[in-house]
Amino acid sequence: MAAPPPSAPGEPAPPPPPPPLQYSLLLQHLVGDKRQPRVWDPATLGGIPCPPKSEEQKMVERVMESCPFKAALACVGGFVLGGAFGIFTAGIDTNVGFDPKDPYRTPTAKEVLKDMGQRGISYAKNFAIVGAMFSCTECVVESYRGKSDWKNSVISGCITGGAIGFRAGLKAGVIGCGGFAAFSAAVDYYLR
Amino acid sequence: MDPLRAQQLAAELEVEMMADMYNRMTQACHRKCVPPHYKESELSKGECVCLDRCVAKYLEVHERMGKKLTELSLQDEELLKRMQQGSGTA
Repeated sequence: MAAPPPSAPGEPAPPPPPPPLQYSLLLQHLVGDKRQPRVWDPATLGGIPCPPKSEEQKMVERVMESCPFKAALACVGGFVLGGAFGIFTAGIDTNVGFDPKDPYRTPTAKEVLKDMGQRGISYAKNFAIVGAMFSCTECVVESYRGKSDWKNSVISGCITGGAIGFRAGLKAGVIGCGGFAAFSAAVDYYLR
Repeated sequence: MDPLRAQQLAAELEVEMMADMYNRMTQACHRKCVPPHYKESELSKGECVCLDRCVAKYLEVHERMGKKLTELSLQDEELLKRMQQGSGTA
């Protein structure tokens, strides 16, 4: 510590210098064992003040952003879309109720409706499964990478296409991976 | 140093320290996790996950550095005390 400067005669003595700071004690109060837990409000710390979210709101948001919910949403959406698509293609398909003995027989309404229903259900199930798989893998990949860009759709498209095609052999799996990845890349490019 | 005085001083410093840390953390995590593309106003899932991780790491780094600094300052004080004792008896 520097010695206090000599005072001029007649002036009062300068105040003694303050005692040196004991940094270790201060730090223990700031970040160490002696720190008291406090409630911090972002508004006082310099953030934009906004009312705190209630527990229910937080829970609802957590559920809606979770991967299983997104997969379920895609599953339901895929089911509806697949059903509509199946019924539509059944309507434009002229192969219903074909009797080899009488090729010019018009199919009955019952046969047509039955075929539409079967086709609709079959397409709906397929679309639902594919949609759920794609959405689930995309959500998982995005959570893992921590980024949100076009590569997520391509990777999850490859995984979904590969998983679907793998049932028919390795080469079909590879082709499925490439095809589905290209398809989802195109959709992503269009959407972004 | 008087422990009560230390506690008062620490309380004043803590507010400033926390405000500074909050601002730096917001800036750093925003720069790292939110790319400046702004196609939509909502945070996507990937960005939310990245921000959670960024904040957790930042706070952990802050805690560890604080503990390390406390150790270093304790060593410094020991050294200073020994030097003063040495110069006192000499």
